[in-house]
Amino acid sequence: MSTMAVDVHPPVWRRLIGFNLLTGVILGVGGWYVGWFGAHAVVAPSLSFFGDIDFNELSLVLAYLGGVVGFLTGLGFLNYPLARLRGYPSSLREKETQGVGRYFTLCTDHKVVGIQYLWGIGLFFFIGGLNAMLIRTELLRPAHQVFPAGTYLTIVGVHGSMMMGMMTSGILGPFANYLIPLMIGARRMAFPRIEALTFWILMAAGVILQTTIFWGGFPTGWTGYEPLNIEAYQGMDCYILFFALVGISMTLLGINMIVTIVTMRAPGLTWTRLPIFAWGVLSTAILMALAAPVLVCTLSLALFDRVVQTNFFVAAQGGSSYLYENLFWVFGHPEVYILALPGFAIVLEMLPVFARKPLWGYRLAVAGLLGVSLLSWFVWQHHIFVSGINGDLRPFYMLSTELISIPTGFTFICGMMTLWRGNIRYTTPMLFCLAWFFNFLLGGLSGVFLSDVPSDVTTHGSFFSMAHFHYTIMGGLVFTFFAAIYYWVPKMTGIQLSERLGKIHFWWMFLAFNSTFAPLFAIGFLGQPRRAVTYAKSLQFLNDWVSVSAFALGLSLLFFLATFVYQLAFVKKPAEANPWASRSIEFQLPSPVPVHNFDRIPVFSSDPYGYGEGPAPSWTPAGAPAGRD
Amino acid sequence: MAEPLASPGTGYEVLENEPPELMGRGLRVGTYLFAGGTAFFFLCFLFAFFYLRSLDNAGMWKPKGVDASIPWGTVIVALYVASALFVRLGLADHVAGRHREWRQKGVVALALGLAGLVVQAIGWSHQGFGPADGGFASVYFGWTAFLFLFVFGTMYWLETVFATSLRYRNTLTGQPAPGEASGDPDRTAHDIQDPLSLVRPGLEALSFYWTFLAGIAVLAWVLLYLV
Amino acid sequence: MATHPTTAAPGADRAPHGRRVIVAWLVLSIVATPLVAIFLGPILPPGNASVQGSGQVVDNTVLTATITPVFCLLLVFFVYVLTRFRAAPATALEDGPPLRNHNGIQVTWIVVTTVVVLSLAGFGTFELLQNGSGGGQGPSPVAVPAGADHMMQVQVIGQQWNWTYRYPGYGGIETQDLYLPENTYVVLNVTSLDVIHSFWAYALGVKADANPGVDNVAYLKTKGPRSFEIRCAELCGLWHGYMYQTGHIVPQSQFAAWIKQQQTLNASIARYMPKYSRSYYPDPQRRGG
Repeated sequence: MSTMAVDVHPPVWRRLIGFNLLTGVILGVGGWYVGWFGAHAVVAPSLSFFGDIDFNELSLVLAYLGGVVGFLTGLGFLNYPLARLRGYPSSLREKETQGVGRYFTLCTDHKVVGIQYLWGIGLFFFIGGLNAMLIRTELLRPAHQVFPAGTYLTIVGVHGSMMMGMMTSGILGPFANYLIPLMIGARRMAFPRIEALTFWILMAAGVILQTTIFWGGFPTGWTGYEPLNIEAYQGMDCYILFFALVGISMTLLGINMIVTIVTMRAPGLTWTRLPIFAWGVLSTAILMALAAPVLVCTLSLALFDRVVQTNFFVAAQGGSSYLYENLFWVFGHPEVYILALPGFAIVLEMLPVFARKPLWGYRLAVAGLLGVSLLSWFVWQHHIFVSGINGDLRPFYMLSTELISIPTGFTFICGMMTLWRGNIRYTTPMLFCLAWFFNFLLGGLSGVFLSDVPSDVTTHGSFFSMAHFHYTIMGGLVFTFFAAIYYWVPKMTGIQLSERLGKIHFWWMFLAFNSTFAPLFAIGFLGQPRRAVTYAKSLQFLNDWVSVSAFALGLSLLFFLATFVYQLAFVKKPAEANPWASRSIEFQLPSPVPVHNFDRIPVFSSDPYGYGEGPAPSWTPAGAPAGRD
Repeated sequence: MAEPLASPGTGYEVLENEPPELMGRGLRVGTYLFAGGTAFFFLCFLFAFFYLRSLDNAGMWKPKGVDASIPWGTVIVALYVASALFVRLGLADHVAGRHREWRQKGVVALALGLAGLVVQAIGWSHQGFGPADGGFASVYFGWTAFLFLFVFGTMYWLETVFATSLRYRNTLTGQPAPGEASGDPDRTAHDIQDPLSLVRPGLEALSFYWTFLAGIAVLAWVLLYLV
Repeated sequence: MATHPTTAAPGADRAPHGRRVIVAWLVLSIVATPLVAIFLGPILPPGNASVQGSGQVVDNTVLTATITPVFCLLLVFFVYVLTRFRAAPATALEDGPPLRNHNGIQVTWIVVTTVVVLSLAGFGTFELLQNGSGGGQGPSPVAVPAGADHMMQVQVIGQQWNWTYRYPGYGGIETQDLYLPENTYVVLNVTSLDVIHSFWAYALGVKADANPGVDNVAYLKTKGPRSFEIRCAELCGLWHGYMYQTGHIVPQSQFAAWIKQQQTLNASIARYMPKYSRSYYPDPQRRGG
């Protein structure tokens, strides 16, 4: 261990002083008030020179920005930039601490950040899930019954925004941050402080979105369409700031991932030996780094329209609501592949382990991931087929949308042929991966109806499209998210999760999920619009069925949470270093992984999928140079 | 059986003294990507400009009297471009080993950039129209405001590179004390070996980015002032 | 690596797995596809209340019939693979055959998916261009049915949270309800006074967003008399869920009578009404925010 002979057990109160989450929260609250009063006192009068400034909006926006700055300052994010400002040279790491405390600070260890992400995103995932339960409670009856109409819309909006905003980093946050350096044989991410920053910005964003309820909520759903956006209450600002911060976090996360994979691969790890998970992360990160800035800009324009009375989206004043729809979906379609692609990669990464066969068609799989990543830029207007934007371009967007099923099909054939003649073990992670095939197949096939303009006229904006993207995102991303938890958490924590409980969770969730969302296809086909609090009486039976199934789905997630926490906190069954007999390098390390990852930088001589091809080659060949670092 | 990849008990010592080339390469690739992200960010304004211009909804794209002042715009952009140019020249000096000349050009570049920001701030109030005056006014204020923010960030970056050069101007080969930037007085070694050698890659990355951003500023000038 | 027993037995398993899967798939597809087309097709949305609606039913039938064999392939494949290649507990960690690639399968897969995708896109475009399929096409529509000049014009105006209608062919009168004559080609000009709405007449297969300042055109040919539900399909604020109405397709004579009645009603308010226009800009000074 560390040779430093300092007192490792100072009293608790002493350990609470310093740059940590507590200080962050205190300064965050302080910064909020500074922003609020500062806006009233100084900023607003000077800006009002330019015209009609909305003081309340401005105060709230500056209050939240002040809160974010205060929060990050309290966590210690300003120390390094200020040191650089005074001329101190570059350094990679903050002062490292040991113990539980480092999970509540700015920590530059990628493994700590990964675990921070897992719990942080998990928290907001469950909040988003609770909102879904509230939605389904309201929809138990055709007329509007439980919540006031505005509250219902806020619940819908928070559910959508929380899931779309938080779960975009659902795989890249916890698992890529933790695993990519291990998989490529590095000891850190390229920019460790930025890595930590992405996490804490995301947490601040999540809290800001929650506080929308104190400001009247917001009526627009997660898309925030203009000009409804402009006329909404102040709660709308919380949505805008939330998503803009998420966008900043995503941009930085994406850049960090790409730089890490491009520059920090260990010797011998050529592009054709890279684990397919890393390829999936790379293709996702490209979308993040380039699409998320569009989101940040779009929402800034929306904020300008609300606060300083610009007219980007006001038709009567020279703006256009189409501008928002275009810009939002230029981001929005890559966004949904940011959600889907890591799922593809996880499935392809795990199938070889549990089928005991090499990944079939490695290059085809890579082409599939990159192809989806590329094509996703050219399909955005399929979200607005009936909006009247560029009616003459609809055949093109219909074609490009359908073309994207070709690279998606690559993932399917590679996965299927990997299973072919394998020796398949039905472990919990494998079950979740196999469920991905089923869910994503239904999601993909229903997408055919939405991509086809004539059919989309009826399915657009209905529960059909809602069922479609829940099959692809929940069925595609969330299922693989759980696969990743069951597969990698033993490595991350050193604690083995019970297979029996995991399988109960899987079957419960899988059946409840399908029972919830499959009927929604029918409901949509029968004409129920999304986000409407009322529906036709004849659809009540189906809706009640869906609601009850949704409650069962919610309970399955609670079951997971309870068993997961119970096993980590109380059972603590130690995990073997390589519980799945994987050939991937992260499973050759001790569990949990030591702080420095590798004694020596490893040397790669093959991809990790050589099942049936003889013993795995050594990563530490005798006499090899010590590697970089 | 080869030796294990990692032994459980090692501390942070093994993380120290990383060769600086790794960080240098990361800086370069990261800057290219950040420039890409910046490009996509400003593409929104480009799109908004042409989109709203072609729609001209309610005849309010550019109502009478909304015309950005060309002299103000030209001065601002000229200052930005000159600052970027001086960074380029400073980089050439640094490459040639003329550290003193680089520092002189660096401080000029910093002054020019900051002057550009000041002129921009004053210039906003001398346009004769406000952000609420139609589509063009919206794009004008949005685009220049974000350009202001990005330039401000770049000036911060320039300052850090310059400050490091200045602080260690007499320390050509030696080392600053470890842990200074991390606020870690207990640190016995640098996490990056010879961190001063990172001034060069930092300057190269900065120069690339600042030139890129100045290019966006020129584009903005052409569209917002000249067209 | 003691955990990696690599005792693959290449070539030991010579059963014709591939042939079995393909035969089972072909049999299942040949049985299932016509069944789906014949029995499921007619009940697919949105129904036959309009020519556009019927077109969508045909379209949905073709799409469903196309995806049936795909679904069957995956179903057969996974049922076969997951039962046949299941690991025995004793040999759970034995490696399978190291098959890394097969060019024939790759090429076949790519060619087949490409052909399917291109035909779907071609078919969709063909269907769309025939009569616009009832979708909103924006101010300058491309999929214009024959005889568009002689169609009956109806302007649909969305505002929070109601629909109103203007009939420019009848003096631009404004009505609270939508009445359409039977067997008539109608061009709907959908616009909004405030935020984005979406005019959705489910049974007629019509959906067109109502955008402020935009004239979004959709075509519709009605069939026999009936009533239909109209909903807003784009979240438009507080009472979005209550923005629904019932519209009516009525015989020609009844429609003429209804129009006459509406013209009488409108006569007294005509001078307060804005002139008929393809879009309206409400007073710009009364902005929210």
